[in-house]
Amino acid sequence: MKPLLHFFLIDDSAFDLFIYEKLLLKSGITDSVKTFNSARDALKHLVSQGANLPESVILLDLQMPDMNGFEFIEEFDSLPPLLQEKIRIFMLSSTIDTRDIDKARASLHILDLLPKPLEIATLKKKLGI
Amino acid sequence: MSEKPITILYIDDEEHNLHSFKASFRKQYSITVTSSVVEAEEILEKNDFCIILADQRMPIMTGVQFFEKIRTKFPKPIRILITGHTDISAAIDAINKGEVFRFIDKPWDYNYVENAISHAYDIYKTREDLQQRNIELQKANEELDKFVYSASHDLRAPLMSVLGIVNLALLEDDIKSQNEYLELIRQSVKKLDTFIINIIDYYKNARGVPVVTDISFEELVTEVQATIQYLPEYGNLKMTTDIDQAGVFKSDVMKLRIIFNNLINNAIKFQDKTKPNQFVHLTIKSTPDAARIIVEDNGSGIKDSDQDKIFKMFYRAGATNSGSGIGLYIVHEAIAKLGGQIKVSSSIGEGSIFEVNIPSIHK
Repeated sequence: MKPLLHFFLIDDSAFDLFIYEKLLLKSGITDSVKTFNSARDALKHLVSQGANLPESVILLDLQMPDMNGFEFIEEFDSLPPLLQEKIRIFMLSSTIDTRDIDKARASLHILDLLPKPLEIATLKKKLGI
Repeated sequence: MSEKPITILYIDDEEHNLHSFKASFRKQYSITVTSSVVEAEEILEKNDFCIILADQRMPIMTGVQFFEKIRTKFPKPIRILITGHTDISAAIDAINKGEVFRFIDKPWDYNYVENAISHAYDIYKTREDLQQRNIELQKANEELDKFVYSASHDLRAPLMSVLGIVNLALLEDDIKSQNEYLELIRQSVKKLDTFIINIIDYYKNARGVPVVTDISFEELVTEVQATIQYLPEYGNLKMTTDIDQAGVFKSDVMKLRIIFNNLINNAIKFQDKTKPNQFVHLTIKSTPDAARIIVEDNGSGIKDSDQDKIFKMFYRAGATNSGSGIGLYIVHEAIAKLGGQIKVSSSIGEGSIFEVNIPSIHK
């Protein structure tokens, strides 16, 4: 059996962190979820983990104060490639703005934009599991 | 509103024409005269005029040539050419090309000139108003744009949270934990409601007709306090007031309520729960001319780099469970509409002081 994936949730909404952490754990695709209410803190954590970072999936909110989802991606872009390779990023947002959607599609680091609320079936399909 | 005088620049190489023009019209208009086109350009650099009158026959260049030269650089003033009969064809040509609005033939007659100036000023004023409306429309459009963008977040996000909780609750077999989910739904709905109320406040403020009445700060503050003290996030916060109102202060009570509500609510929302005695202190000093309102708290404070941005629409400082980024924007707009100012001084971890100065509205 394949090892379970490690998940990071980055969202300024305490509700959404709570909901999606629970949902991910319940779904059985992971037993390890780490939540951050600030993209900046999440970035610091990734850097500090370095080589110890397990294969991970990030679910990234878009609209956040201080550093938003796209700003996070810009910073992510300058991280060491070895670190980047361990991480798969999905944007998770309630946005319906076409500019956001186009921008997310155009980004090399964002695998897809998943609409809120998160559907486990969709996520599984995107992850190929 | 007091009407500004009509400003006119008159260029003619014959000094006695300048003198007689000035003598005839100085009571009605604010007139600047010069006999040199070179000097006229210098004057235009420094002053704004509604109307420029120029004689056609001048040394160096003709009136039409002068207008051609200045037209792109100073497009706003309305151009009137003064000519003798011999130059009629030049004048007609200039009008057809759009270089001048009208021409006045020499020797001019008082009523004719007055009529020409008054028509020219009408056009100037209409263009000016149009430009002003354009600026306002542009601002309104930008706000609308931002609004639509934020609607996707601030209106949809709480709804999507509710939907997410419902999905999760449906997976749950344990009936007891349903209550926990219901509580989350309640909070999310509440947040959405607050945002909608804010938006309505904003539109009332932006589009509504101001109603000026006598203000009792004592009453207003009591009223605002009554609505907030039962908020769950109020906690152990201690609110003190020091209201010193001397004489009648007139203002728009709706806008003042928006200002007090948001500033005090922020002090409650961003209180520092790690401190033993959270407070918000409200000081009001009002005279018949002006009021100074100070809201001071020992909450979490605002970063230096955020202090100039917090009044912008949809800007949210801080990463914790903050607001929608519209409260202080509405406060700023309301204060601007009342002809007042707001400033903030704050340091992180210590607290914030908001100072509002607004004039009494005398009508």
